[in-house]
Amino acid sequence: MIFHRLKVGFHRLGSPPTFHKLCRVLSPWLWAGFLVCAAIGLYQALYVVPPDYQQGDSYRILFIHVPAAWQAMAGYVIMSILAVIALVWRIRTVEIMTMAAAPVGAAFTALCLATGSLWGKPMWGTWWAWDARLTSMLVLLFIYLGIMGLYAAFEDRRKGARVACILVLVGLVNIPLIHFSVEWWTTLHQGATIRLLGESRMHPSMMSPLIWMTVGVKLMFGAALLDRARNDLIDQDRRKNWIRQLIGEGATGDNA
Amino acid sequence: MIPQLDYAFYVWSSYGLFAAIMAWQFIQPRVRRRRIIAELREELAMQTGNYDDPDA
Repeated sequence: MIFHRLKVGFHRLGSPPTFHKLCRVLSPWLWAGFLVCAAIGLYQALYVVPPDYQQGDSYRILFIHVPAAWQAMAGYVIMSILAVIALVWRIRTVEIMTMAAAPVGAAFTALCLATGSLWGKPMWGTWWAWDARLTSMLVLLFIYLGIMGLYAAFEDRRKGARVACILVLVGLVNIPLIHFSVEWWTTLHQGATIRLLGESRMHPSMMSPLIWMTVGVKLMFGAALLDRARNDLIDQDRRKNWIRQLIGEGATGDNA
Repeated sequence: MIPQLDYAFYVWSSYGLFAAIMAWQFIQPRVRRRRIIAELREELAMQTGNYDDPDA
């Protein structure tokens, strides 16, 4: 029974008006969740947790850097799952979501690289090193940009999305490289400090803001993804009746 | 109120970048949606002949 409902719900998401409604309803809640989590996380990161005994206050950058890095990689994995669904079942709304994930993922990757540099300068004495972790993260940014560029290069959006989905799956090989780079090669970048399984090497007092920020950026990723997907859907369906009706109904533009 | 931090330039630059990127992710899709909807309204008005020029 539950499986049947899930299956029906999944198929309904393929309907553009239903998908549009879902984006419109869900996005403000996700943004609100992000604001709450970020407010708590930032307050704790700047006011509550003590300075590190070796790094002083510079370690507070990690409350931005680490969630951004995790989200850059998690966003890519989500995009790859969507790409498989888009290629196998050819659901247009999923194609749109896959392509909408790329600019958000690219933003998190850029944020991760920039904050890493800002931490590296005072701690390592350099803005950048051609270290395996940093380089593989830079490659991830180029893959995201490549996906966006490839999608934009096609006049036929659906064809562009399908070709870009293949590139998404090719680029997936970079994710384990990023994750294991600190174990496989000798890197300037430190090894894993926080572990899902096993004991973390980070002091427990510093974990709370990290968790709030991580949850916050995940909610923000979802919100930004739905916002962008909604725009692409409206843009692609601009000649269709359901959009015309929507524009006609929402005199203030709120419904669209 | 504003905490006095070591390495303040690096820490505040990171937090500032975070705020700027989050704001961009919030604002940019809304600006784009407004533009698409304005275009659609104009197209629809031209087709139906119900075109009120706000500058007229």
